Amino acid sequence: MSLAVTAQKQCTAAYLCGPVKLSLTFDDCSLQTALDGLLSQYDAPWPAPATEVFVTIEQGLPPAHIPEPVGVYLRSYRLRVDRCGTHLISFSNVGVWMDFDEGEKQAQIIVPHHPDRETVVEEVEQQLVLLLARAWTSQGWTPLHAGSLIPPGKTNCVLVCAPSGVGKTTFISALLRRGWRTLGDDKVLLQKENGSVVARALSRRVHLHPALANWFPEIRKIEKWPRYSRWTEKRMVKMEAIWPGQWIDSAIPTGLVQLERAENGPTLNIEPLDSVRALNSLLRQIAIPSDAADARLLVSCAAAMAGRLRAALVTVGNNAFSDSSTAGRLEEALRGLLP
Amino acid sequence: MQSPIDNRCWMLRPDVVSTVLNDGAVILDLRSKFFFSTNPTGWAIAQMFETGTTRDAVHGACRKWGAADASIPEINALIDQMISEGLVEPVNTPAAATNGVAMATWISPTLSKHPEPLQRIMVSAFDPGLPLAE
Repeated sequence: MSLAVTAQKQCTAAYLCGPVKLSLTFDDCSLQTALDGLLSQYDAPWPAPATEVFVTIEQGLPPAHIPEPVGVYLRSYRLRVDRCGTHLISFSNVGVWMDFDEGEKQAQIIVPHHPDRETVVEEVEQQLVLLLARAWTSQGWTPLHAGSLIPPGKTNCVLVCAPSGVGKTTFISALLRRGWRTLGDDKVLLQKENGSVVARALSRRVHLHPALANWFPEIRKIEKWPRYSRWTEKRMVKMEAIWPGQWIDSAIPTGLVQLERAENGPTLNIEPLDSVRALNSLLRQIAIPSDAADARLLVSCAAAMAGRLRAALVTVGNNAFSDSSTAGRLEEALRGLLP
Repeated sequence: MQSPIDNRCWMLRPDVVSTVLNDGAVILDLRSKFFFSTNPTGWAIAQMFETGTTRDAVHGACRKWGAADASIPEINALIDQMISEGLVEPVNTPAAATNGVAMATWISPTLSKHPEPLQRIMVSAFDPGLPLAE
C-alpha cells in the first residue's frame, strides 16, 4: 500500500509580545488561527527592540531518543517540564511536545494527531506561555500574575495580587470607573532598574465577565465579544472600547493589595501587611521553577520590591460593588498605599 | 561535648535560594516550596552556610558579633532547625573562612517557617495560583 503525501502549505506569523518577538511557522494553518487570540493579546507597545525567538509548530510525534519530561523544572496542570542544558523540554497531557533552546532562541513544538482538538490547542497555548515566560525572564523581566492601578496624575502603581477568580478585574474595573488607570488586569512584567523596580504593561485588554454589567453598566455590550476560552464566560475586551485613555505603559510599584473574597463577611475590610507578607503575596503570583539560577532572578526581583511596598490585605464581600460607596472607600484606602 | 559528626561542615543545598529583604532575608526551598524568613542575625548565620561552615565556626563568628555564651543554645537551635528542615546538607569539604559580615548589635537569631508552601503544581507558566470555579 502506498501512502499519498500531500505537501501542505506552510503559514508564518509574527507577534510582538513585550520584549520578545515570536516568529512562528506552522504546517497547519488552522492552528495559527486558533492561537491568534492568545498571541494578539500582548498588544502593549514596548520601548526597546524585541529579542526574536523562532518557533516551528508541526504535526507529528516527539523524537523517541529524548526522554519524556517528568516535571523536575516546573509542573503545571497541563505540562511537565525538565531542563537539559540550555534546552527546556516540555510535554503536555495530550502529548504536545516542545523543545525550547534558550541559547539559540529556537523552539520546536510537535503537535500530535488527537481527537480532542480543543484540548490540543489549549496545550499548544500552554507551551507558548511557558516559552514566553522563559524568554521574558531571560531578558531580565519577571512575569507577575497581578493587576495594577494608578491614580489620576500619578506614575506610581498599586499591584493587585490574587489567584484567578478572586476578583482582580472587578476590583480594577471599580477604580477605572473613577478615573484610575492600569497596566492591565492580570499580567505585568517587572524589572530591577536603577535601584528601583519598574512594572510594564503587556496587554491593553481586560478579562470582563458579562455579569459585571449589573454593577458597571458601561460594559453591558461586551456579550457580543467572543469568549476567550471554553472554560469561562469572560470576554477579553480592548480597554479602549470601555474605558478609553485609561491604560498606561509603565509605572513604579509602591503599593500592593493582597485581594481576598469573603463569601459571607463584611463588604470591605482592609488591614496592613508587613514586608514578609507582601513578599509572600508576590511569590504566590510568580511561577517559580525549581532551577535555582532561574528562580533566584525572580525571587530577588520580588524581594527588591517587597521591601519598599506599602501593602494591605483587602477583603471584599461578594456583593461589595452593589454598594456604590465601596469604590470610594477603596479609593481612599489605595491612596494610602501611594506616596 | 560535641561529637565530630555534630561538627561536620554543612552547606545550603543547591536548590535553596536566599535573598535579602529589608534587614533580614528570605530563604526559599525549591524542593519543598516552603519559605522561611530570618532576622539580621539569622541571615548572618545562614550566609555562612552558603560557602560551608561548621557549628564551631558559627559559634566563633557569633561571639565576634557580640553573642554571649548564654546565646549558644539559641544559635544551636537555629542550626538544628536548618538541618531538620533540610535547608543544609553535610559536605566533605573544609569549612570556608568566616565571611566578612558585620553585625552592629547582637540579637537572638530567628528562622520562621511560613505555614503554606508556594504552589508545587501551577496553573500555567505565568499563573501559579489555584483558580476558583466561576
